[in-house]
Amino acid sequence: MGTTDKKSKNAAPKNGGHVIMDLPKNIYRSVIREKTTLRDQSESEPVSDNFFVHVLPVSPLEHPRFGYTLGLGVISMSLFLIVAATGMLMLFYYVPSTEQAYERIVDLNATVSFGRIVRNIHRWGAHGMVAAVFLHMCRVFFTGAYKPPREFSWVIGVFLFLVTLVFSYTGYLLTWDQLAYWGTTVGTSIAGYTPILGDTIQFLMLGGTTVGQETLLRFYVLHVFVLPLLMVTLLGLHFWRIRKDGGLAYQNGNERD
Amino acid sequence: MPNDVKTNGVEPRNESVMNLAGQLVRLMILVMVLLTALLVVSMLFDAPLGAKANPGHPINPAKAPWYFLGLQELVSYSAFIGGIVVPTLIVIVLLLIPYIDRKPVGIGVWFAKGRWIQNIFFGLCVLAMIVLIIIGMYFRGEYWNFILPWAN
Repeated sequence: MGTTDKKSKNAAPKNGGHVIMDLPKNIYRSVIREKTTLRDQSESEPVSDNFFVHVLPVSPLEHPRFGYTLGLGVISMSLFLIVAATGMLMLFYYVPSTEQAYERIVDLNATVSFGRIVRNIHRWGAHGMVAAVFLHMCRVFFTGAYKPPREFSWVIGVFLFLVTLVFSYTGYLLTWDQLAYWGTTVGTSIAGYTPILGDTIQFLMLGGTTVGQETLLRFYVLHVFVLPLLMVTLLGLHFWRIRKDGGLAYQNGNERD
Repeated sequence: MPNDVKTNGVEPRNESVMNLAGQLVRLMILVMVLLTALLVVSMLFDAPLGAKANPGHPINPAKAPWYFLGLQELVSYSAFIGGIVVPTLIVIVLLLIPYIDRKPVGIGVWFAKGRWIQNIFFGLCVLAMIVLIIIGMYFRGEYWNFILPWAN
């Protein structure tokens, strides 16, 4: 390291300095938090002190290998943001009622400005996200990147994959068209085959004995509130673990000691 | 840390560098390419929307979205095995993978030779799921009977 004990010239004096003279400097410091004494620490600050980029590595490799990750994690996350943004727009038009849901979507397609393209992006983005998350999982497996110390990151990832699937599945019903209705009927009937608790689980999912208003409301609440909350929490944990476990797996073996 | 990495003249080192701007640019390029692709797809193809749901008229066959078609294909043989046992097993095995396979072999390398058993096992599972999805997608017609997609 070499510079371990070297004081930064910007370090605050022990007595706190002059109140008036040091005011601009003190304000500046209080905003950007520049009072470190270590060189490595101050060099890492543009990343570690900024909320929006602090999930990125402080010092990435000089020559990143795209062929290693194929960008699949970034693609999954980006698709989630795109799908969340378009979903939020559609929230302004959608009504989770068996009488209005379908007509609202027909309206969205036909009369709302950019309604059709927003819905298309949401739907295809969601399909893309299922594929991207799955491929990301395959990438991590085939590169052995789940091995210690990254076990728990993989476990969170498995849950993220499941949340993605349930997300898609609950969204599927919201259009309230024939395919949605009968697809959900088939899907929920499978849950009924669970030993002992089968009927209870099925009733809990449907809010009744057949797909109806209660089912639509339940799937809607899951889709627009519960699952987003769960997804964001798990994503935070996932990214936090990636940084804490040392970033990409290939950096440990070859580039770090 | 960057300045302390010794090359030893053995192989060109891929050093880690403080490069926030470079990272952001790479990230941005990837996101923009993705967004463009998604926009083009969304302009060319409309999201499906069938007739309004009618509880009195089942559609035949009622197919799940593509990512569940593999499971639906298994369900057509046995609802309990395909719908409950297999998915549960898949999830349990996935969750246990990093706790079973802990040997520090082939970390950070695609298809490492030392991990051929694991890779073949996982690869076959992925392949099986893809084959089941394709069967469910193209080779199943009314009442889930086997059909040839090019027959009609």
